Amino acid sequence: MLSYFANPQRFDRLARIAIPVFGVLTLILLGAGIYMAFFASPPDYQQGETVRIMYVHVPAAYMASALYAALAGASFVYFVWRHAIADAAAAVIAPIGAVFTALALATGSIWGKPMWGTWWEWDARMTSVLVLFLVYLGYMALRSALEDAQQAARASAILAMAGVINLVIVKFSVEWWSSLHQPASVFRADGPTIHASQLWPLGLMALGYTMLAGWLVFYRLRTRAIARRADALLRQKEAGGRR
Amino acid sequence: MGVLTAIFAREARLAWAGGGGAAGPAAFFLAAITLAPLAIGPAADLLAAAGPGILAFAALLSVLQSAERLFGDDFADGTLDLYLLTPTSLAALCLAKVMGQASATLWPLPLIGVLGGLMYGLPPLAALVLGAALLAAIPALALIAGFAGALAAGIKRGGLLIALIATPMMVPVLIFAAGAGRSAFAGDERAVANLLLTLAISLGTVALAPFGIAAAVRGRLG
Repeated sequence: MLSYFANPQRFDRLARIAIPVFGVLTLILLGAGIYMAFFASPPDYQQGETVRIMYVHVPAAYMASALYAALAGASFVYFVWRHAIADAAAAVIAPIGAVFTALALATGSIWGKPMWGTWWEWDARMTSVLVLFLVYLGYMALRSALEDAQQAARASAILAMAGVINLVIVKFSVEWWSSLHQPASVFRADGPTIHASQLWPLGLMALGYTMLAGWLVFYRLRTRAIARRADALLRQKEAGGRR
Repeated sequence: MGVLTAIFAREARLAWAGGGGAAGPAAFFLAAITLAPLAIGPAADLLAAAGPGILAFAALLSVLQSAERLFGDDFADGTLDLYLLTPTSLAALCLAKVMGQASATLWPLPLIGVLGGLMYGLPPLAALVLGAALLAAIPALALIAGFAGALAAGIKRGGLLIALIATPMMVPVLIFAAGAGRSAFAGDERAVANLLLTLAISLGTVALAPFGIAAAVRGRLG
């Protein structure tokens, strides 16, 4: 399967189908999700209207980690089998993941103000998402600093894979750290289980975000391939002109 | 075995000859812990409470200072290419290289950590625990800095990049090393647990990081 789509032409054919499919699914699912989240679902009995921030925030947080998993998976495939498209996928996933992480942090902060009375709390989960954001930034910085394409691909693949081990340890150590010095104040462990009227919009939004990410990834992959081809053609033309 | 000791000794000699040995990180560490109280204010109880954190954080930053040189120079002059040609495993060579440099440059950090702990008003026992935690943290910090240094070898202005790559990886060590000092100051029994966890992270890093560094060196040499 993997080596089948490693062929650039086959991949291009796949992308031509995948882009509109993901696009249409994104519009339908996000449209329905946004309608249900903002208009057709009741306000929460505890949180009131602010519960609607959850529908934007939770899927963003889920995409932040899911896209890092995808980034690490693509890096692993590139590192082991040296498929150029796996490397290209890693390269295009990173900024998308970073944006979803930033969105999760920002909406979490906006949600935190009415719910907990503070914009930022050094709680375990928020802190580890912030570290995840730094990991994304480091990955993109390394990638853009290396000019040689193959070196950039290999070095950033190694960094992405090391990041997985790191993020797991960070998650546990940050939990230990926050339990050391922070009294359990704002987070109710036994919050109300989620009601079906909230589960539906949340599920739709999560699916919509996933389709959006897929759409963006395929779109950027195809753009990247076309840009590469245009570059190669230009260089050919220049070489021909000089002769 | 001869190759590894030779590389270890070479790095230690190079650090003393070209980089001023332990002077660089030690001076940076001292400067950082001198400036922090000027920013925070002289209130004694605040300084004692923040002391372990400031000291561990400043130690972390001073480890980053020498990371750019470790692989950068050898990448530029082709020494790393020769490493690839030796029959000894590259991971072992990288471990010897990082530890050689660390042994020459980082040994004053725990000592200054104890001294700084006393200056910040920690009780002597807490200062000693913090010093021990810094000692336990050094292998992990040096190897993580080495990993970032290997990835960024030869990049212009790579220092910033190294800091950006290495700091998220240093989060666990920082938490447990500073946590050991903080618990010792607060007088609770978790100081030992934190100390042991710092040591555990260091040992885990010694086991894993050399392979990461070796992969990074191979990746950069193509």
